[in-house]
Amino acid sequence: MTASVIEAERARLGLNKPIWRQFVDWMGGLPRFDLGTSMWTAAPIAKEIALRFQLSLQLAIMSTLIAVTLALPLGIAAAVRRGTWVDHLVQILSVAGLATPSFWLGILLLLFLLSNFHWLPPLTFTPLWVDPKANLLQLIWPALAVGYRYSAVTTRMTRSAMLEVLQEDYVRTAWAKGVAQRVIVIRHALRNAMLPVVTVIGLEFAFLIGGLVVTEQVFNLNGIGKLFVDAIARRDYTMIQGLLLLVATVYIVVNFLIELLYVWLDPRVSYG
Amino acid sequence: MSGSTHGSVMASGVRTVAQARGPALAARRRVQRRWLARFARRYPLGAMAGLAILGLMVLAGLANHLAPYDPLANDFGAMFAAPGARHWFGTDVFGRDVLSRILYGARTALLVGFGASLVGATMGGIVGVAAAYFGGTTDLIIQRLADIMISFPIIILALAIVAILGSGTFNLIAAIALSFVPRIELVVRASALSVRETTYVEAARAIGARHWRIVWRHMVPNVTAPYLVMLTVFLGQAILLEASLSFLGLGVNEPTPAWGLMLSGAAIEFVQRAPWMAVFPGLAITCTVLAFNVLGDSLRDALDPRLRI
Repeated sequence: MTASVIEAERARLGLNKPIWRQFVDWMGGLPRFDLGTSMWTAAPIAKEIALRFQLSLQLAIMSTLIAVTLALPLGIAAAVRRGTWVDHLVQILSVAGLATPSFWLGILLLLFLLSNFHWLPPLTFTPLWVDPKANLLQLIWPALAVGYRYSAVTTRMTRSAMLEVLQEDYVRTAWAKGVAQRVIVIRHALRNAMLPVVTVIGLEFAFLIGGLVVTEQVFNLNGIGKLFVDAIARRDYTMIQGLLLLVATVYIVVNFLIELLYVWLDPRVSYG
Repeated sequence: MSGSTHGSVMASGVRTVAQARGPALAARRRVQRRWLARFARRYPLGAMAGLAILGLMVLAGLANHLAPYDPLANDFGAMFAAPGARHWFGTDVFGRDVLSRILYGARTALLVGFGASLVGATMGGIVGVAAAYFGGTTDLIIQRLADIMISFPIIILALAIVAILGSGTFNLIAAIALSFVPRIELVVRASALSVRETTYVEAARAIGARHWRIVWRHMVPNVTAPYLVMLTVFLGQAILLEASLSFLGLGVNEPTPAWGLMLSGAAIEFVQRAPWMAVFPGLAITCTVLAFNVLGDSLRDALDPRLRI
């Protein structure tokens, strides 16, 4: 390879311009949703990301559903039955969930599916509207592997927030005037305990977009996380830039939505 | 060392400084031992986790005496050997003994875990105390930088730093430590802010103590509780992160034995033929992280129950 070839390639990729100039060019594209082109595939970055975003978003939503349906009942039960075997069992489950790497759980799931059903993760992704059954069958296992860890975080937060609220005076008053337990737990306690829980759910959700680098690898999924690892391995800087921007944007949007939820959950919160 | 002690040493002429310090040191040891005993009584689970971690450290330290095989030695006659009398945990695709690799892998895990969380927590602690103490513009700048860093998932941040530094054990420690700094900084800053408003800090300032004296003698000792708790919690996190990054091939490099590395590639490809290749390293990760998390929880309850992490 001669120096002139390298120079021509640098000019093509725009690497011969000063750094600040490259940054200005990149910023100039942002308002038009133009993130530039990949240094590896030469395809527009926005298109490459959009292809994978679908999968990552669906996986994140499914994991969240699994986590919330597990975590809320378990966390509430543990708080209401504090110190009993229910509480201990829930605590053990959630402490174990925090310590288990979800990619290892994914490998164990794969092992189980392989030996019992001869199921292998398919090589291509089937979108939900093309074949809902194939799509759900493909994503349910990674969603379970990820959802377990996610539910552990949420269960712990639900339990500790509920414990705090259950000690409040108004809960004691409610007990004293003979309100049904279900009403006290759901209306008086849960609603007030939801603020920190919603925060944890939201932050974990934001993490799932792009944070699933390892689990995607195990299940052969072509999501945002895999794109990230590939881009790093190939030194595809424009792609890394675009992905970092996406991850930070998701984080900010989710945070904003959480703040809006606060107002709905607790009328005392207001942003004048 | 205060002036009066120094004087007595000079007067008696025979006692050395170290001897003069002896009784005070012994008293402190006694207090520490009593605290440990009370901790063990109140938090038996936490104490058990602590013992398990000590045990793991001994296993890792003595790996070269305990491991039945060389963790790097290939034995193509014994590829995919099932767990049995010769190889307790079986062998991998190159015929390497899984148990030996797990024992040596514990060294990597503990080195990265302790290295990254000690460096990260200490840097985060220093920055957090400084931000709280100086306040104003310093605080503002530090907080905005922390906000930027926190808006990336921790594994993405570590990945990005590894991408810049390159893979390898020490770069991995640096990457994990750096991604911990803003998270620990936030917690320590919050504690330090309340310490700053106390009367003893005000008094120290009033008698004209220098900044570093106030920070070092009055603020730092009062934020050791959140510091220690964060340190233990992030130890487990660091081990998980090391495993994840090594699994992706962006952490510890082959052939260094590391748990995450043992799970990647062949362990998945041959998961049905040789499940022990995937099961045992994963169990090692889970048990170790579990021990650190349980110890961290107990330490939090004992030292700083208000801390929410």
